[in-house]
Amino acid sequence: MNPLTNPTAQAVDEVLIYIFGFSLILLLGITAVTIYFVIRYRRSKNPEPTSDVAHSFWLEAVWTLLPTIIVLTMFWYGWVNYVGLREVPEGALEVKATARMWSWQFEYPDGRRDNKLTVPVGTPVKVTLVSVDVLHSFFAPAFRIKRDMVPGMETYVWFTATEAGTYDIFCTEYCGLGHSDMITTIEALNEEEYAEWSKPAAPSGEPRGLIVINEQGCTGCHSLDGSEGIAPSLFQLAGQTRRIVVNGQTKEITVDEDYLKRAIRDPESEMVEGYDPMMPPYDSATVSDADLQAVIDYLLDKETEPAGPDAKQLLEENGCLGCHSNDGSIIVGPSFKGIGQRQVTVERDGKKVTLQVDAAYLRRALLDPNGEIVEGFAPMMPAADYLPEADIDTLVEHLLQQTGD
Amino acid sequence: MSESTTYTGFWQESPRPGILGWLLSTDHKRIGIMYLTCIISLFIVGAILGLAIRLELIAPGETIMGAQTYNATFTVHGIIMIFMFLIPSIPAAFGNLLLPIQIGARDVSFPKLNLLSWYCYIVGAILAIIAIFSGGGAPDTGWTFYVPFSTQTTTNVNLAAFAAFMLGFSSILTGINFVTTIHRLRCEGMTWGRLPLFVWTLYATAWIQVLATPMIGITLVLVILERVFGAGLFDAARGGDPILFQHLFWIYSHPAVYIMILPGMGVISEIIPTFARKPLFGYWAMAFSSLGIAFAGSLVWAHHMYASGMSDFAVLIFSFLTFIVAIPSAIKVFNWISTLYKGSIEMAPPMLYALAFIFNFAIGGLGGLALGAAASDIHLHDTYFVVGHFHYVMFGGGGFALFAAMHYWLPKFTGRMYNHKVAVIGWALLFVGFNVTYMTMQAVGVAGMPRRYYDYLPEFTTLNQVATAGSWVMGLGLLIMFVNLWRGMCSGRRVGKNPWGATTLEWEVPSPPPLENFGEEDPVVTKGPYNFKGVVADEY
Repeated sequence: MNPLTNPTAQAVDEVLIYIFGFSLILLLGITAVTIYFVIRYRRSKNPEPTSDVAHSFWLEAVWTLLPTIIVLTMFWYGWVNYVGLREVPEGALEVKATARMWSWQFEYPDGRRDNKLTVPVGTPVKVTLVSVDVLHSFFAPAFRIKRDMVPGMETYVWFTATEAGTYDIFCTEYCGLGHSDMITTIEALNEEEYAEWSKPAAPSGEPRGLIVINEQGCTGCHSLDGSEGIAPSLFQLAGQTRRIVVNGQTKEITVDEDYLKRAIRDPESEMVEGYDPMMPPYDSATVSDADLQAVIDYLLDKETEPAGPDAKQLLEENGCLGCHSNDGSIIVGPSFKGIGQRQVTVERDGKKVTLQVDAAYLRRALLDPNGEIVEGFAPMMPAADYLPEADIDTLVEHLLQQTGD
Repeated sequence: MSESTTYTGFWQESPRPGILGWLLSTDHKRIGIMYLTCIISLFIVGAILGLAIRLELIAPGETIMGAQTYNATFTVHGIIMIFMFLIPSIPAAFGNLLLPIQIGARDVSFPKLNLLSWYCYIVGAILAIIAIFSGGGAPDTGWTFYVPFSTQTTTNVNLAAFAAFMLGFSSILTGINFVTTIHRLRCEGMTWGRLPLFVWTLYATAWIQVLATPMIGITLVLVILERVFGAGLFDAARGGDPILFQHLFWIYSHPAVYIMILPGMGVISEIIPTFARKPLFGYWAMAFSSLGIAFAGSLVWAHHMYASGMSDFAVLIFSFLTFIVAIPSAIKVFNWISTLYKGSIEMAPPMLYALAFIFNFAIGGLGGLALGAAASDIHLHDTYFVVGHFHYVMFGGGGFALFAAMHYWLPKFTGRMYNHKVAVIGWALLFVGFNVTYMTMQAVGVAGMPRRYYDYLPEFTTLNQVATAGSWVMGLGLLIMFVNLWRGMCSGRRVGKNPWGATTLEWEVPSPPPLENFGEEDPVVTKGPYNFKGVVADEY
């Protein structure tokens, strides 16, 4: 073990050295005494036993009590330092880590996503851990931290990088075929580098589809260059034929937009022959419709329109979903479900008016929400007039498509 | 020698001739020999898989097999070694051979149940082998069957889990039989204080088998229900809990560790007095520490789960209980070594294996302290340190104890002796190869290499190569040991009743023992198990 200066590693190493030290002394003692007895009392020299003592209360009491005391100190030391691993220092930077077979995704407070964990030197980082499929485990040996990632549960680890550098992250809970490839790194940057990194990303030359593919960790299983991996390669898909298995029947299809959509949204329904159904489905909460289109266009080698604002993301980012549900339930305001073809009764200037929802109404509802209040609801929605015109257009278009099915 | 040269004891005396005389036999010795044969055969299969794993890991990337094959290989290696080798090894094979004779009985309490338990074992083993070659392919979940992966993988988990379920039944039946036998069939004068320590450990083990094994049976059935009917018990999306599975699994599988090691401790407690010609030091401490280990060992299961996401309070409790279980184990080691003091020590092959057991078990046990402490476990958990650690306990302890038992008792049951010089060579290779392999694994784990890794980063290469080289030395040692034992048992020099000058009852009956063990009259015991005054070893 290299001497490490970060707080979590020090807490663990103190206990390790204490226990390994005692263990080594005990092992050497036991072994030396055994070897001494075996030589000293060998039969050729000691043809008959020279003692028949078969028990000794005091001796046995001593070697019961002494180990008891020693192991209890080990227990306590281990516990106290473990508590240190669980108590996150104040002011920690929060990053969310999502594990899936077999890739990592880190989401930063500003919404950016990456498959590496980039952190500033000297600041505690709390990593919230979630898994979308099976058990995984976040293990960073240099920081001596580890925690399982359990579907349906949020766990965490924390660490502080005290020196700039690249540190390994391993998955340590067996998760199938790609388990040992599920490796990424912590990039600990010093102040200037981190400031540079955390600037809003300049629009890169990369097509949106490729960015999404990298963010989502698709390349953990699918190569982009035609090489065989755990899953079929994504190299030059346009016009290729694939043999797929649907409900146990094999058929041949040509790769097209519809097929790719199904393969991403619901991969298990149509598996390429010879591959195991291991891929997790990517729903629209994970990959928005616009991003899905961008990925497909990239894979089919089409030009992608620069992605406009994404409606679902806008709804989430602007907190709309805190009051308006997508599933028909009433939280505070009316649900978005079916809003596109709804008739509403509103109170306008003290008069009740029934009208059909259309683009003009939705625009008014966004920019001047309290001008017309839907019957039964309170006038409390803030105006969305701070949004750029393009975002309003996107939202109106999206809401009109909500037909209720 | 008092017997004629053609005497073969229970090998010939049978109500039925030929193979049926074995397959339908209720004689505890014949059932013991059948167990031993199957267990050793499966051990050899498991060991070959282990060598294949090491060979694959000699370099990063693909060496001899692909990732899916590798995952299936370590899974099958684990299932064979744990469910088919370690758990039945000493209790079912040597327990059956020796328990009735050591307490002066003519057989176990329920001889037919005993045969049924062997059939459960065989059916379980056959199902497990079918599981490897049928359905969606060999299981790839690891022997721990952790959900949700085990409920999602398309490999043949259902059949493998059912096989383990059957093997569990075999274990329960043996446990019931042994508990009853020890309570009911001790001969006249065989008080609890005169039981050989091997019997005490079998007694403690049998209780674990009876009380804990049903848990794994239920748990594996739940996995099958989850897979076949989508029961949802472990599925977080439907209100289930994946961590619940880990609790259920370890409630059995941790006590199972003591099923694997306790009878081994019993074997060592028989061998050391014999070759030091002294009574075992601290008889009652040894007897009660076995019961203590069995009891306390049933309360520590969640120390496999500090990093699982369970509450920190649970970590506190289970860490404390884990350290409590260390104490009886330490007492045993000190008592074995004190037995050597002022003894008359002969380094015969069984004694070499027994001393190697103490050394290996001490390393395994001390390594367990670092895993039991909460903070250090967070680093070591699920790394190669754990792989090294449990091989030290299971193989260095349980496995070496079985080899010690074979070198000690096979001459009794075959009436023939193996070559001692070759046995020492085999032992030395095995001991050195073992320590090189698993000590290196512990080191690579401390350095941070996770377990169940098909591929690894270049910085771990050197240590992995050393471990693989060690595995070859170990393999050679095993080969020499098995060949030497086999040749000895078939054509070695004949031995009398008591080649080692030992004192327990089995050494007072002919080698091999006759059907029903004792002649016309039941034995009567008048002294403790380790009284060496006047006992002389037969020449051979």
